[in-house]
Amino acid sequence: MMKFAVVFMLVLLLAPGLATAETSKELIENARAFDGGQVTLQGEVIGVMMRGNNAWVNVYEGGYAIGVWVRAEDARNISFIGDYSHAGDNVLVTGTFNMADPEHGGDLDIRAENFTITAQGAAILRTPNVIVVAISMILVALAIVSLVWLWRIHKGEEKIAPWPVYWR
Amino acid sequence: MIPSLRREDLRIIGFNLSKILFIVSIVMLIPIIVAVIYGEFEIIPHFLIGSSISVILGSITHHYWETDKEMELKHALCFAALTWIVSMLVTAIPLWTTGSTNSYLDANFDTMSGFTTSGLTLVPDIDHLSYSINFYRHFLQFFGGIGIIVISLTVLSRSELSSVLTFKGEARDIGIKPNIVRTARVILGIAIAFMVIGSVLFTAAGIIEGANLRTAIFDGVNYSMAAYSTGGFAPHSQNMLFYHSTLYEVIALIIFLIGSFNFSFHYSILSGRRREIFKNIEIKTFFTILLLSTLVISGLLLFSGVYSTPDVLFRKAFFQAASAQTTTGFGTLYPVQISTIWPSTVVFMMAMLMMIGASANSTAGGIKAIRIGVMVKSFVREIKKALSPRSATVETTYHHVEDTPLTETVAKGAMLIAFSYVLLFIVGTTITMLHGYGMSDSMFETASAVGNTGLSSGITSPAMPDTLKVTYIFLMWAGRLEIMAVLVLIGFTILGIRRGFRK
Amino acid sequence: MGLRKFSLRAFLKKNLDFIAGVSSEIGLCIGIIIIALAISFFLVFIKSLA
Repeated sequence: MMKFAVVFMLVLLLAPGLATAETSKELIENARAFDGGQVTLQGEVIGVMMRGNNAWVNVYEGGYAIGVWVRAEDARNISFIGDYSHAGDNVLVTGTFNMADPEHGGDLDIRAENFTITAQGAAILRTPNVIVVAISMILVALAIVSLVWLWRIHKGEEKIAPWPVYWR
Repeated sequence: MIPSLRREDLRIIGFNLSKILFIVSIVMLIPIIVAVIYGEFEIIPHFLIGSSISVILGSITHHYWETDKEMELKHALCFAALTWIVSMLVTAIPLWTTGSTNSYLDANFDTMSGFTTSGLTLVPDIDHLSYSINFYRHFLQFFGGIGIIVISLTVLSRSELSSVLTFKGEARDIGIKPNIVRTARVILGIAIAFMVIGSVLFTAAGIIEGANLRTAIFDGVNYSMAAYSTGGFAPHSQNMLFYHSTLYEVIALIIFLIGSFNFSFHYSILSGRRREIFKNIEIKTFFTILLLSTLVISGLLLFSGVYSTPDVLFRKAFFQAASAQTTTGFGTLYPVQISTIWPSTVVFMMAMLMMIGASANSTAGGIKAIRIGVMVKSFVREIKKALSPRSATVETTYHHVEDTPLTETVAKGAMLIAFSYVLLFIVGTTITMLHGYGMSDSMFETASAVGNTGLSSGITSPAMPDTLKVTYIFLMWAGRLEIMAVLVLIGFTILGIRRGFRK
Repeated sequence: MGLRKFSLRAFLKKNLDFIAGVSSEIGLCIGIIIIALAISFFLVFIKSLA
C-alpha cells in the first residue's frame, strides 16, 4: 500500500513536469493513479464522432485507443481517420484524464484542453503480392480441376435440397 | 465390452467431413464481396487460397472415403466435434496469410473463438485490419452462432437419422419442425431476420451518434452479427467503447439478449404464441438470475465507490453483467480495468454468470438457464418429498414451449452437464494459474473461454504462452459442444490407438 | 416454390404474427433494460439515504 502511495505521489508530482506523453497502456493499466490528473497523449486518430459543440476523437497509441472529448472545431480540422487504407492524423492531446467519467457514462476518457494536429495522415497504397497471387491462381486451378474430377466420377449421386420456403 | 473400431467408422466420419469442407470453402468466398466494395483487391487472393485448399481437401476426402453407410451415434458425435476443428483449421488460413494475426496458432485461436461465438481475440491491431478480414471474423461468429452443421443441413439433404444425431452432437437438441432440415432452415431464417433488424438499428444509431455513413454501415452490420450470435467480436479494439454512446449500447443489449433466447422460444413467439414469454422456465430463470446479479454487482460497485451515478451503473454494471450472462463478451470498459478497478467479489460473480450462460439451443454458451431452472426445481422437489408423508407422490413439471414432467433422467442430464462444465472450469483455471496468473483473473478468463463469452481480464493477448492459447482453444471448443461430443471423440481416438482399426 | 398453394390470408396472418413476435421480443428486452435502470436508480437512492 505504501509503495503504491509513493508511486502515486511521484506520478502526480512528475507527470505535469515531464514533457513526454504517456502511453495508452500506462493510462489504462494505472487508471486509478492518473484519475483526475493532467495527461498528455500522442497518437493516431482512428475514429471521429461529432456530438453538437463537441466531438469524440478516438486516439490510438501502442495497441490501445482512448476516447478524447474535444471541441467540435478541433475535430473538424482532422483530415484523415486511420484504418486499413489510411494513416490517420497524428495528434497531441493534453487534458484531464478520467478513469470513469461520470458525465460520459463512466467511460475512461481524456477531456482535451489542448488538441494539436502534429502531422497530417495520408492514404496508404497497398499492392497485391505477386507470389501470393500466383499461389492463389494455382490453387484455384487445382480446386476447379478437383471439383470437375469429382463431378465426373460421382455424376448424379448427390442431391441438393430445394431452396427453402419459409411460409409453408 | 465396447467393440473394436473398423476402418469403415473412419470413412463415415471422413466422408461427412468432406461436405463440411465444401461448405466452409463457400464461407471463405463471401468476404470477397466486401473486399471488392472496399477496393481491397490484394486481400482477395488470400481468401481464394483458403477456399481452394478447403475444396481440394474436400474433394480428396470425398472421393477416397466415399461410403453410403448411415451414421451411428458415435460417428455423429465424432463428426460434430471434428467439424469444428476442421473448420477452425481451414478458415484460419486467410487470417494467417494476410498477417492479421502473428502466427497460424493465433489465427486458429481467433477462428475457434469466432465459430464458438466466444469473442476472445489475438488480432494485435483490429483498428487497422482490412475491412474484408474484419467482416470475415464477424461472419464466422454469425455462422458459428447458428451452428456449422445446422447451416450445412439447410443446403445439403441428409437422411433423417444422421441429421438428428449430428444436431445433438452440435448441442442443438431441438425439434421445431417434424423435418430436421426444415427446422434448420427455420433457425437460419430467424437468425437472418434478427441480424437484418440489428444491422438497421445499429447503422441508424451510428449515424445519430455522429459517425460517418461508411463507418456506420460497416460497423452496423458487424456489431449486429456479433451481437445476435452473442459473439462479442467488434470491428474496433475499443469494442463497445468506440461509440461512447448509450443508444448504441442499448441496441446491443436488445440484440444480444434476443440472440440468447432459445430457437424454440423464438419460433413459439414468432408463430403467435406470445404468452410463452411469461411461462417459459428458461426465460424466467435467465432474467431472475440476471436482475438479481445486477442488483448485487451494482450494489458492490456503488458502495465500494467505483461508480456513483445511476447511468454509470447501468452502462457499466448492468451492461457487463448482461454481456457476461448472455455470453456475448461486448465490453464498455477496457479488459484490464475489470481486474484493476473492480472488487474481486464482482470479478468472481461475473465469472459465475459466464458459467451459467443463457438459453440452450440459442447462440449462447455456458451451462444454460434451463438446466439451472431444472436443477433448482428438482432440489425443491426433493425438499417437498422430504416434508411429505411417505405415501404421497410429489410430481413436478416445468414449462418450456409445453408443460413437461420433470423426470429423474432430465434432472440427472442437467446435473451431468453442469458438473462437466465445472470440471472444465477447474482444470482451465488451474492451468492458467500454473502459467503464473492470479486466481481471480484466471477464474475470470477460464469462465469466459468455457462459457464462450469473450470478456477478458487482460490475460488473452498475442503475448500469452502458446500452451495457454491451445488450452483456451480446447476450452472454447468443448464448451460450445457441451463437452459430450468432445469426450466421445477422445474415447474414439484412445480406442483406435489401443486396438487399431479392423478392416 | 409452393405458389400454387399460396393463400394471401395465411401469408398475412403469418407475417403479422412474425412482426408482433419480433416486437414482443424487443419489448421484453426493453422491459428488462428498464428494470435494470430502475435498480440503478434505487441503489443510488438507498446510498443517498445512508
